[in-house]
Amino acid sequence: MTAAISAIGLGRDYADQRALVHLDLEVAPGGLVGLLGPNGAGKTTTMLLLATLLAPTRGTAALFGHDVVAARAAARRTLGLVFQEPSIDGLLTVEENLRFAGRLQDLGGAALTTAVHDAMQRTGLLEKRDVRAARLSGGWRRLVDVARATLHHPQLLMLDEPTVGLDPEHRDALWHFLADERRTRGTTILFSTHYLEEAEPADRVLLLARGSAVADGTPAQLQAGVGATVVEIEGPDTAAAIDRFRQTGALTTTITRQRTVRLGLRLEAAAASHALGDFPALTRRVVRPPTLDDAYYAATRAGDAETP
Amino acid sequence: MIHAIAGIVIRDLHRLTRQRGRFIGGLARPFLWVFLVGAGFEGIARTGDGYRAFAYPGGIAMAALFGGMLTGISTVYDREFGMLRLLLASPFGVRAALLGRLVSATLVGTAQGTVVLALAPLVLPMSPARFATGLLALVLVSAASAALGLLVASRLASVDSFGGVINVVLFPLLFTSGAFYPVATMPPLLRAAASANPITYMVDLLRHALARDPEFALSADLTVLAATAVVSLIIAAVGFDPERRIIGKKAQR
Repeated sequence: MTAAISAIGLGRDYADQRALVHLDLEVAPGGLVGLLGPNGAGKTTTMLLLATLLAPTRGTAALFGHDVVAARAAARRTLGLVFQEPSIDGLLTVEENLRFAGRLQDLGGAALTTAVHDAMQRTGLLEKRDVRAARLSGGWRRLVDVARATLHHPQLLMLDEPTVGLDPEHRDALWHFLADERRTRGTTILFSTHYLEEAEPADRVLLLARGSAVADGTPAQLQAGVGATVVEIEGPDTAAAIDRFRQTGALTTTITRQRTVRLGLRLEAAAASHALGDFPALTRRVVRPPTLDDAYYAATRAGDAETP
Repeated sequence: MIHAIAGIVIRDLHRLTRQRGRFIGGLARPFLWVFLVGAGFEGIARTGDGYRAFAYPGGIAMAALFGGMLTGISTVYDREFGMLRLLLASPFGVRAALLGRLVSATLVGTAQGTVVLALAPLVLPMSPARFATGLLALVLVSAASAALGLLVASRLASVDSFGGVINVVLFPLLFTSGAFYPVATMPPLLRAAASANPITYMVDLLRHALARDPEFALSADLTVLAATAVVSLIIAAVGFDPERRIIGKKAQR
């Protein structure tokens, strides 16, 4: 089966700045892949390269077998895009915006009317069809944008930080809609996000830092990389506790977040709690399973991390 | 690609009906010029039918020029609200974006020019035939204006305001043209500038259409305007760097 996304050694420089150093990525059709990383990690550049909007400096990429440079038009036909800023004209009504977007995808006549109606229905926009986009709240505008990006039934949907600035209600509505698209149409979805919990349902997460992938796997695999247990400690005995775990070979990662130090440990929770009992001067001692958040900090702040 | 172009045109026409202020503003300028400034000139410059009659074809051209060029230039603005990305990422990309805008800007220019043309009987003797030839002339004038607007847009990374563009691009073009004073009586330097200025030929074509003492041959007007439209469009298409629109000036450094 042809991969939905296939990137080999993909990279892009802006003048002397290397925005994306080297990316290998293969995504099977129907996948839900999250791109995670701090600002400037290369998430947007990756999306723009895959969306045929930037030319790669190095490497190649193809969408469903269509090269993003050599077969740009064919690659674009597979795509629906949601950018960070909504691609919505505030002077036009919801329906006019959608009709405009549909026409750009070469839809016309009855096919256009059906596609627009269907998209409004699925996003709950029917009753707002005649409202000018400028009068909508940010959340509704985002839903218009997503309806806009999906009305031509793209095989691959790319969303660049789609939930930034959304209230929880609209965020839920958005994810619900995307899950639905995936289930009913088998749409492949690539999204970037700052919210770690949003990457949890992804079947694959790619952590980017300084233009390179620093971790790649299922959320469970990434969490497991931190160890079996994470402890959060604070207080005078912190350094001593770290030393002890390092000497016994239990330590996988240290992550310093303000005064709190998180340690990834190859120990079960009970063993970790027991070991912490030797350090009475700790003012904080939390023992918990690792989260994607831990994996994210461990991988993107590579300088802080201990590699076993 | 026909749906994509139709989509762009329909969107721009929707925008026009929602921004009546801009449409009316585009019409106010020629009337201000012809009737307000013209009233002052009337006293000092006594030509055959008076200055207003002389300047009226220039007023029609001005309306079409503003409508066509500003709509063409609005391509620059699209970058600022994500719409241009949408256009550039569509299957037909830059080609549809430029052609669609060319058509819509031509329509907007023609619409604005037609309003001024319709009021020509206020100062000019008109006939159905003159309205018809005037309208034909307006389409070509607007198409050349639209292409010039796209050319300007392809060179600009962004514009602070339409006011700036009007002051830096449109007014200098108008004032160095034959719109408001005859080219023949200009000082040599200005005459050279006017002869090289496409706006001069837009105004002259309208003088032909309305039988108002043209200064150049009809074939010269048609050739210059057709060439202006084609060459501007080609330069705009070649010089339009989609990447610069996507990542912006800052990222390029």
